[in-house]
Amino acid sequence: MYEVLMYDGGVHKVEELFDLIEDIGGFVLQKTQVQVMIIITMAIPAEDRPLVERKTAELGGKIIEVPLAGTEIAVIGPTLGRHHMPHPICDIAEHLRRYGAITIVMGLARGRGRKTCQISAEEKAIIEEYDAAIFMLGNFKECVTHEKIDLYKDIQIPVVTVIGPEVDSLPHCEALVCGVGRKVERMRRSEEIAKLEEIADRVKEVIDVRRMEIEEDPLFVHPSEIKDILDEMDAVQECLRPAPVVLHVDGLRVKIPYKEHLKEMEELEVYGRKLKDIAVISDCRLGDSTIIKIRTKAEVEGEIKI
Amino acid sequence: MEGTEQYALESYQWLLERILMDMGMSNMVERVKLTIRPDQTLFIISIKVKHSSGKRPVYDIAEIKSQEGGTFIEIKDESYAPRFLATLWRLYGRDRVQQLTRLEIFVEGVSAEELSTLKLDPEEETRSQLLDAIWRLLPEGLKVRHEFYDDNIMTIVATEHVMTVDFIEEAKKMHQYMRGEVEE
Repeated sequence: MYEVLMYDGGVHKVEELFDLIEDIGGFVLQKTQVQVMIIITMAIPAEDRPLVERKTAELGGKIIEVPLAGTEIAVIGPTLGRHHMPHPICDIAEHLRRYGAITIVMGLARGRGRKTCQISAEEKAIIEEYDAAIFMLGNFKECVTHEKIDLYKDIQIPVVTVIGPEVDSLPHCEALVCGVGRKVERMRRSEEIAKLEEIADRVKEVIDVRRMEIEEDPLFVHPSEIKDILDEMDAVQECLRPAPVVLHVDGLRVKIPYKEHLKEMEELEVYGRKLKDIAVISDCRLGDSTIIKIRTKAEVEGEIKI
Repeated sequence: MEGTEQYALESYQWLLERILMDMGMSNMVERVKLTIRPDQTLFIISIKVKHSSGKRPVYDIAEIKSQEGGTFIEIKDESYAPRFLATLWRLYGRDRVQQLTRLEIFVEGVSAEELSTLKLDPEEETRSQLLDAIWRLLPEGLKVRHEFYDDNIMTIVATEHVMTVDFIEEAKKMHQYMRGEVEE
């Protein structure tokens, strides 16, 4: 099983770390160099972690745990109304990034109100492209417990609900965090930061469960292995969007247009098989991107036998 | 504060305090009454601002001296400075109004007597600031609104679907209570 870690240190002799990652069969997911300092996010086989730790100590750097690396999480509010800024969903999204997640912030078109709040099928489909969703539902208990829970009722990915009032539990969600309602300023007090930590912990738990489910019927290849191959594509190298290839728990998002590059992606070779045989490639709802869902080992091998 | 959910009341009180502080209006507000009933989708807020003295004559806030070619004004109450300057610009044009320093203005070709008759109205600005604060506070989904206002009190009742006579009546009572006309 791959483990995602972050190296934070100097550039001196960092090639040795790159060589080691390659030797043990790991992947560099992202590297950001600022003058003489470099941050490397890598996926390595879990059993080889001591080797990487030893090399990191040798280079004078440090290893940072990024439990949410390799995930893309949607943080959703019923509205992104300008007069509600600064919005706590921005703080939540920012905090999750510290744990390695790629996050997006989303406001529903008609999510505000009590009886009038709605979510469209299109919005649900967009949300389901992510690994997990955080719904932030406001300050009114009556409104949350009776109406707002319907917003995420049919969503097929894990949902973490964040609300202001204290309630014991809510239906249809995998985790619940109470005590974060509407704000008109950044969350920077110690108790607010503790709440952000609590939200990150709940998300970590939810993602861990999702990863364990995948482990029971493992993917044919780890998403980072496909990322390595996709990174070689000219279209990906020319892509100017930040993080052109984003890892998901069970696949990837590639920020190149689906229609133009489908053929090329289908023909990519992964361990002797074509990408189209080991993954489902589909258009992204947000446009100009492609979603790749990797099939499980059982699915791929079962198909070959037939 | 009155309502069915303690958390909602406390959080909205805190939100209002922060919004007023952000807008620099904390010291203008004398009293606030808030009713929140999420089960009925009802939100009523009434804000009373400290007595604003109505229109203030210019000689109250500035010293006016006749000079050759015009009038020299030295503003004493700086909270009126931007409004006063804007009024002068509007009346006499930017060419004739020179702002010498932050609180000193020279107006060309206008007599001191004429300027002394001017009056400044702070009401409009206070009202629009107050509306802005309430707009920031109101839950976004409550689009059906009705308001009562007079010189220094503004009451807004908001709901989601249909504004009932009872809601309006309740808001009216709250408004009258803030004016001291009825007992709670």
